[in-house]
Amino acid sequence: MIFKGILNGCASNIVAQAEELNGFIREHLSCGDNVGSTIFFYSKKEEKNALLGLVPTESAELIRVARYQPENILKALETVENAEKADLYLFPSGFAGSEIAVRWAYRMKGSCLVQVKQIECSGAQLIAKKTVYANHVLGTFKLTQKPFCISLAKGSADSQAIAVRDKLIVTEHDLTGPQKDQFIKHSKWIPTETTKDLAAATFLIIGGRGMHTKENTQNLKKIADALGADFGVSRPVAMSAWTPMHRMIGVSGAMTNPEVCIVAGVSGAAAFYAGIEKSKTIVAINTDIRAPIIKAADVAVIDDYKAVMAELAKIILD
Amino acid sequence: MNILVCFTTTPEVEMLTDEDWVIDKNLQIDTSFLKPTLDSYDESALEIALKLFDASENIKVPLELNALTIAGSGANIILKTLKALRFKRVVRIDSHEDLRFRPMAVASVLTQYVLKHAPLDVLLLGRQTSIGENTRTHLLVAEMLGWPCITQAIRIELVDRNHLVVTHQMDDGRLRQRIQTPCVLSIGDAPNTYMRVPTLKDRLRSGKRPIEILSIKDFQLSDETEELIDLEVIHHRRAGILIEGKSPEEKARKLYEGHLKGSVPVQER
Repeated sequence: MIFKGILNGCASNIVAQAEELNGFIREHLSCGDNVGSTIFFYSKKEEKNALLGLVPTESAELIRVARYQPENILKALETVENAEKADLYLFPSGFAGSEIAVRWAYRMKGSCLVQVKQIECSGAQLIAKKTVYANHVLGTFKLTQKPFCISLAKGSADSQAIAVRDKLIVTEHDLTGPQKDQFIKHSKWIPTETTKDLAAATFLIIGGRGMHTKENTQNLKKIADALGADFGVSRPVAMSAWTPMHRMIGVSGAMTNPEVCIVAGVSGAAAFYAGIEKSKTIVAINTDIRAPIIKAADVAVIDDYKAVMAELAKIILD
Repeated sequence: MNILVCFTTTPEVEMLTDEDWVIDKNLQIDTSFLKPTLDSYDESALEIALKLFDASENIKVPLELNALTIAGSGANIILKTLKALRFKRVVRIDSHEDLRFRPMAVASVLTQYVLKHAPLDVLLLGRQTSIGENTRTHLLVAEMLGWPCITQAIRIELVDRNHLVVTHQMDDGRLRQRIQTPCVLSIGDAPNTYMRVPTLKDRLRSGKRPIEILSIKDFQLSDETEELIDLEVIHHRRAGILIEGKSPEEKARKLYEGHLKGSVPVQER
C-alpha cells in the first residue's frame, strides 16, 4: 500500500502532529509492502530545516504556501498530487486534519472517515474503527473507494519521537504566489490564553456541572493550585464560560493520562471520560450514586464535593 | 442576508443505562423511548443565528433566518420553538431513513434544497451529531455547492448584507476573519450559546405560521463511500469502590489514607 501523511507545518503544534503520525504508522503500517511519504505544508522559510527533522517516512514533500487556509491547501494538493498513485492519505487529529481529509476525499472521489482509532488493510479495502454514539460505541467501517482519506482520532496512537534519518528524499514546491481566496477580506490571528498542557498533567482535578456557578469553579481551581494540581473542566462548564475553553477535558478538549485524577461534580458522559480513561487512578466525588462516573472510577465518594475537597486539601497540605 | 441553519434532533443517549446499550442484528440501538433533543453543536448554531438576528435589528441590516431539519414528526416540537424565536421559514424534510452514518446523503439533500431555494447566503451547521460523529456533512455541502467553508466557528458578527466577521478555533489558536458570503460555517465549541427560550407571547404570535413539510422522496440521495459493518458497545468500568463515612471530613480522610497517600505529590511549602 502506498500511503501519504499530510501535516500542517503552518501550525505551531507540528511536532505533536508528526509524532502522532509516526506512532500511528509504526502501529498500523510498519509491516508488509507499505511505502510511505509525508507532505508538509509550511509558510515560514526559516522553519524548513526543522521540518526535515520531523519526517516519519522515507521521503518528504515540502509545499510552501502563504498561510494555512483550507481552500488554498486543497488547491495546492490538486496542483502537486497525483491521487491515482496513492492508496491512503493520513491526516493528523485536530481540526485541520479532518477538514482537509473530507474535502480531499470528495475531490479525489475516494472514501473518507475522520477521527479514526484503528485501521486494518484487507486487500482492496480498508477496515477502520472509530467511536460513534457520543463515544459509547465503537463502529467498524469498510472503505472501498481509493484513495482512502482518514484523519486520526485524538489518542489513537502513542506519539513516538522521530528518529533522525541518514537519507531522506525531499521534493519541494513553492506555491506562495497570489491566491484566489477572495472570500476572506481580512484576517487577524488572536493569541489565546495558554496554560500548562493539560495532556501532560500528573495530578489533575476536574470540576463538572455539579459546581453550579462560576464562583464555585474558581474556588475549586484555587484548591487545585494550592495542591499543585492542574485544573480542568467538563464541556458544560466550559460552554457556560465559567473557565476558558482550553481547560476543557474530553474528546473536544484535552486527552490526559495523569497518575491521579479527581473529578468533582462530573456526571461522566462518555465523551468526557475518553479524556481521562488513561488515568492511573480516578477518584469521583458526586452526590449522585447513579452518575455514570461512579462505576467508571477506581474510588468514589458520595457527598458534596466542596466539603470533601476542602478537607482533602487540608489533609494533604498538613 | 438569508441564513439557513440545518440542524438535527437526537436522542439524549447519556440517559441510557448500561442495560439499554443493546445492538440488534441490523446494527440499531433502540433509543425510541428517549425524547428527541437538539444536538449540542446544532443548538449553538441556532443560538448564534438568533444573536445575528438581534444584531441585524440594531445595525439595520435586513436578515432572514430559516431552519431546516431532516427528520420525522418528532422534530415538530423544536420547529415550533424556532418559529416562536423568529425563524421565518421552518422546514422539515420528512424522513424515516436511517441517516446515522450517511453524511453524503444528508449533504446531497441539503445541497439540493439550497439550490432550489436560492438565494441563501449562509449555511450554518453544527460540526457533528452525537450519534454518527461523522464530522463531514458541512464540508461535503460546501464541496457540493462550491462554496468556501470555515469550521469550528465560535463567534459570528454581522457587518453588512454580504459580509460577516467569523472567529474560529484553529489547532493552535483562533482566527478572526472578515468574509464575504456565500459560505458554509460549521459551529464548534462556542461558549454561551445555549438556546434561548421563547416567551408565551412569542409562541402565540407565531402560532399560525405553518411548518413546511417536504418529502425525502423528492430528493436524490448520494451514495456513501464507506459502509458500517459492525458496532460494539464500549464499557467504561473500574472498581468503583465507595468510601463510607459519617461526614465529608471522615470520607476525605479515608480517601486520602486508603487511596491517595503516596500518590498525590506533596507541595513544598
